[in-house]
Amino acid sequence: MSVQVPERLTETADPAGPVAAVASGNWRMTWRRLRRNRAALVAGAVFLFVVLACYPGAPLWAHLVAHRGPNVQNIQGTVSSGGHRLPVVRADGTPIGPGWRGQYLLGADANGRDLFVRVLYGGRTSLTVGLVSALVCTALALLLALPAGYFGGYVDRAVSRLLDLIWSFPVYLLAVALSASLVVGGLNVGPIHVGSSSLAIPIVVIAVVFVPYIARPVRGEVLALRNQEFVEAAIAHGAGPLRVMRQEILPNVFATTLVLFTLIVANNILVEAALSFLGVGVSVLTPSWGNIIEQGYSTIVTAPWQTIAPGIAIMITAVSLNVLGDGLRDALDPHGRLRGVIT
Amino acid sequence: MRRRLALLTALITPALAGCGGGSSTPSTGGGGSGGGGAAVNGGTLRAAIPDDPDHLDTGLSYATEGWEILESTGDGLLGFKKTSGAAGADIVPDLATAMPAVTDGGKTYTFQMRAGVRFSPPVNREVVPSDIKFAIERLFRVDSGGVGFYSGIVGADSYAKTRKGGISGIVADDKTRTITFHLTQPDGTFLDYIAIPFAFAVPKGTPDKDISTVSKWRIATGPYMISAYVPKDHITLVRNPNFHSWSTSVPAGHLDRVDIKIGTDPEAAVNEVANGTLDWYFEAVAPDRLTALKAQFPNQVHVYARNNITYFEMNVRKPPFDKLAVRQAVNYATDRGALVKIFGGQGTPTQNVVPPTLGAAYAKQDPYPYDLAKAKGMVAASGTKGMAVQVWSHATDPVPKAAQYMASVLDALGYKASVKTLDEGVYFDTISTQKGDPQIAFVQFDQDYPEAQDFVDVQLNGERIVNVGNQVTSNIDVPSLNRRIDATRRMPLGAARDAQWAALDKSFMQQAPWVPFLNRTLPKYVSPKLHGLVFNGTYYEMFPAMWLSR
Amino acid sequence: MRSARFWLRRLAGLVLVLFLLSVIVFLIFNVIPGGDPAIRLAGRHPTPENIAAIRHDWGFNRPLWVQYGDMMNRLFVKHDLISYQDQTKVLPTIGRGIPRTLSLAVGAAVIWLFFGVLFGVISGLTAGRWPDRVLTVVSMAGISTPIFWLGAVLLYLLTFQWHSSPLFSWLPAGGYVNLTDDPGQWAAHLVLPWICLSVVSIGFYSRVVRSSLLHTQSADYVRTARAMGLSRGRVLLRHTLRTSLIPLTSLFALDFGAAIGGTVILIEPVFGINGIGQYAQQSVAHLDLPPLMALTLYGGFFIVIVNALADAVFTFLDPRIVVE
Repeated sequence: MSVQVPERLTETADPAGPVAAVASGNWRMTWRRLRRNRAALVAGAVFLFVVLACYPGAPLWAHLVAHRGPNVQNIQGTVSSGGHRLPVVRADGTPIGPGWRGQYLLGADANGRDLFVRVLYGGRTSLTVGLVSALVCTALALLLALPAGYFGGYVDRAVSRLLDLIWSFPVYLLAVALSASLVVGGLNVGPIHVGSSSLAIPIVVIAVVFVPYIARPVRGEVLALRNQEFVEAAIAHGAGPLRVMRQEILPNVFATTLVLFTLIVANNILVEAALSFLGVGVSVLTPSWGNIIEQGYSTIVTAPWQTIAPGIAIMITAVSLNVLGDGLRDALDPHGRLRGVIT
Repeated sequence: MRRRLALLTALITPALAGCGGGSSTPSTGGGGSGGGGAAVNGGTLRAAIPDDPDHLDTGLSYATEGWEILESTGDGLLGFKKTSGAAGADIVPDLATAMPAVTDGGKTYTFQMRAGVRFSPPVNREVVPSDIKFAIERLFRVDSGGVGFYSGIVGADSYAKTRKGGISGIVADDKTRTITFHLTQPDGTFLDYIAIPFAFAVPKGTPDKDISTVSKWRIATGPYMISAYVPKDHITLVRNPNFHSWSTSVPAGHLDRVDIKIGTDPEAAVNEVANGTLDWYFEAVAPDRLTALKAQFPNQVHVYARNNITYFEMNVRKPPFDKLAVRQAVNYATDRGALVKIFGGQGTPTQNVVPPTLGAAYAKQDPYPYDLAKAKGMVAASGTKGMAVQVWSHATDPVPKAAQYMASVLDALGYKASVKTLDEGVYFDTISTQKGDPQIAFVQFDQDYPEAQDFVDVQLNGERIVNVGNQVTSNIDVPSLNRRIDATRRMPLGAARDAQWAALDKSFMQQAPWVPFLNRTLPKYVSPKLHGLVFNGTYYEMFPAMWLSR
Repeated sequence: MRSARFWLRRLAGLVLVLFLLSVIVFLIFNVIPGGDPAIRLAGRHPTPENIAAIRHDWGFNRPLWVQYGDMMNRLFVKHDLISYQDQTKVLPTIGRGIPRTLSLAVGAAVIWLFFGVLFGVISGLTAGRWPDRVLTVVSMAGISTPIFWLGAVLLYLLTFQWHSSPLFSWLPAGGYVNLTDDPGQWAAHLVLPWICLSVVSIGFYSRVVRSSLLHTQSADYVRTARAMGLSRGRVLLRHTLRTSLIPLTSLFALDFGAAIGGTVILIEPVFGINGIGQYAQQSVAHLDLPPLMALTLYGGFFIVIVNALADAVFTFLDPRIVVE
């Protein structure tokens, strides 16, 4: 459940240097290659479908078909199913199971909420956490990796040690410990106040923990790019470090970053689920795929769908992102030079 | 991660809420626990527990799991009658020869101690009154959670600070075998305090630290002794060779040995009992399995009534719950039937403070029939609509679901509700400090001792409000009610006292500091070979009464 | 072989990393509001004197750095670190957990290595044809699995729903049996956890081996070897697989370190294995600093050591590689 990037390979196994494959002009080529990769296209379509189902789809289904939102509880109510009126939640607490009907298509949860509606809305949370934390993670990684690779020396050593430190931490233990402490009291540092049930907590925790996974390979590339002729030339023409990094180096590490980004989104969705499952992720009242699994797990014997359905949603999303990332890599780097870098 | 996982992972913190309910009615499905013919002696009970008990030291244990084991190994001057049902709240002599002489207007208790009871090896000597005095003084030296019960003894306060010279209000005379307690004021429940494991005899010389894993200091007086305790692995009870039964209230025990495996989660326990590899499990049946088990094995499922009250407390110091009308409105808007369903139907709905298992102290009342429209009107009139309210809950299933239900009730009343969950292991510590004081919070209270004082006085007497370790989580403070509580506390145990508690229950529900909703039960699933199940509200199920058919 | 100076530097780095880890964990758990262990230790009816006494006895009123030093002293010198939650000794509990966690992680590692390489080789040899496609789907699914969920669903399906089927009736519903007590039951209890812990890595390894095969098959020396008449199988074994061993070793070091040091936290609670991972999960839930401190250092130590070992293996496999 983690993106694994053997960083040593970036420094050693590929003497040919960095992947400068995608200079700005090559996007059309890349797109043409991607179009030929049917698996990647299907994966892209599936991911798009998931996004559409969760963002515009969730309220549409909730209003037009299920007639109830994701947090509307109905413990004492009934629902008509196959011509009978059935209690949504039985006296022993067992919720109704799946059935061909608009309401409670996948059944209810213990609070009498519509499971299908919750899975759709849960997808919003999980995708948001996955995407935003991946963005934050990538941004942090670039902020660290660009100067480290560009300046080398002390900057590089400091950044590398920091990455080593995060890297040596048992990932889940770090994430869980950080979340547990933040979920208890929120975060109050100077002017920053983050409520204990804020989505920002899992987002930031996940982003920070996985920074090395992006920062290391990117740093390796920057390190190699630094000595390329076109970079030297830019410097010789009097461009400052910021300008060189932005105009010469960033476009050339973009390919790697994009592929890593795709993979890390999938990874982060899985991590969100894991943290929520351990009770230190998204706050209980907000549906997320991990939360729905966590809340359903205690009744898996009597109401298995509550556990199974969100897990399937997670897998579909993660598979589509991973296949898409794979295809992107092949398209961006047809000669396989990235292969050692990104598995 | 909660219940299942929780239990799986011991998020099942040993019920830190002390010990549970007084009377028990093995009520389910015709369960014939007492059946099976005459008791058979011998055999090994195969038992399991999801996680370590909190302590196996009577000075420190403050959880059901610990007391369940320590009941079979230790004795105090008094004990609760080791039977099921309401009679389990009766206090009887144990190491004392008779009930104490109470003099000085209820402030002096004098006990005569039985001769000939010996400690288990390697101590072996006779138990003397100064071992009781030693045990109570040791509580203060080991920072025990139980010191609060004994702070009413003369000299206890100064001993708590100095820890030198002993507690002057406890006078033990080993020659005449008497021990006298002097209290600062009369207290009817002092008898209860003498019967709980904190006051069990501990041989002088026991070190002032947790001896749970120190086998040479785990000294027994009861029918069993703990021969092994390897945390996260196993506990073994064997017969105490120095034990002989001295009264019918102290059974000798039928089993030769109890093997307790640590780390079995409730789902696995159900499977193991079904497969015949486990006889008995400490915790409740996994709720999602109960319905099917009840139908399939009616004689192996037992449902015990605990002395329990489960409620949401509303903090009267924090808006919007500083307004009486709002607190009453939340009571009207709560459908207790829905909450009972969330708890798997395991319990009975209630609107009382005192649980129905406490006899005459309980007078059923129904002051807040479900009426959402009325409640909405009351909230609208209070001018608090639109306020943000955070519901606190611990994370052990199904409690977060109950908190989410309460959030939906508050939303329906026009508030902006959110839910905050904390692990059960730290939850009660957090909500019982004024610093972390929530607006509205889930509370589950199981008795320490089977008397209504533990429910009314401990949780609602405004004079008990403190900054840390606050049991009066609602911060309700009504001087006239406080005075009535204080007067009732000084009364001797009995019907007149119970009637006062019942009246106080009614008065407090008019003040509506809580939304009481459930008296929880304890469903168990045991091997068909296991008989002699007795559920005592304080000690829970008792090993000395159990026996295995061949 | 490397100079003593290199290994000394490496060791110093290890100590520094572990020191920083411990400081971070210590700080995280000392800024938690409501995490005051004195209140927790005081039980249900604490008196202010009681809490003050505990604070004094346990030293919670001393400066943070003194408390940190005391904790390290208890952990490394006196070996009597005690949990705040139940006041049991931390180190014996970890000691009891290690065989469980090692059983889980080593077994899973064997499985993921075997199937990862097998799938990768098949995939690489049949690139573009149907076995490759099927295995690609399988490995992609593996990489994308929430393992705790897989564990939960497998437990439900195999040990409850289909338990009566003779195919699965031998599967226990969680728990652990010592290898020395009953090897058969040991394995039976660990089959499902092994599968769950290995699916992700199987997916990764088969991808790595596959691309490594494709990559090296087009390399000059492999072409030369083929041109010299060596059979495809021999070339595969001699040259190609050997080359893929390098990324594999590196991956394996990371994975094994990560599994033992962290990922077990997701698997052990689901199956009730009660090893290091479950202890860590419980300690986090209880905000119980002493065991967490010990477990973090244990996990960090494993990760750093395993990676250092991988570097050593690297140089052995391919002397051209110079690490750092």
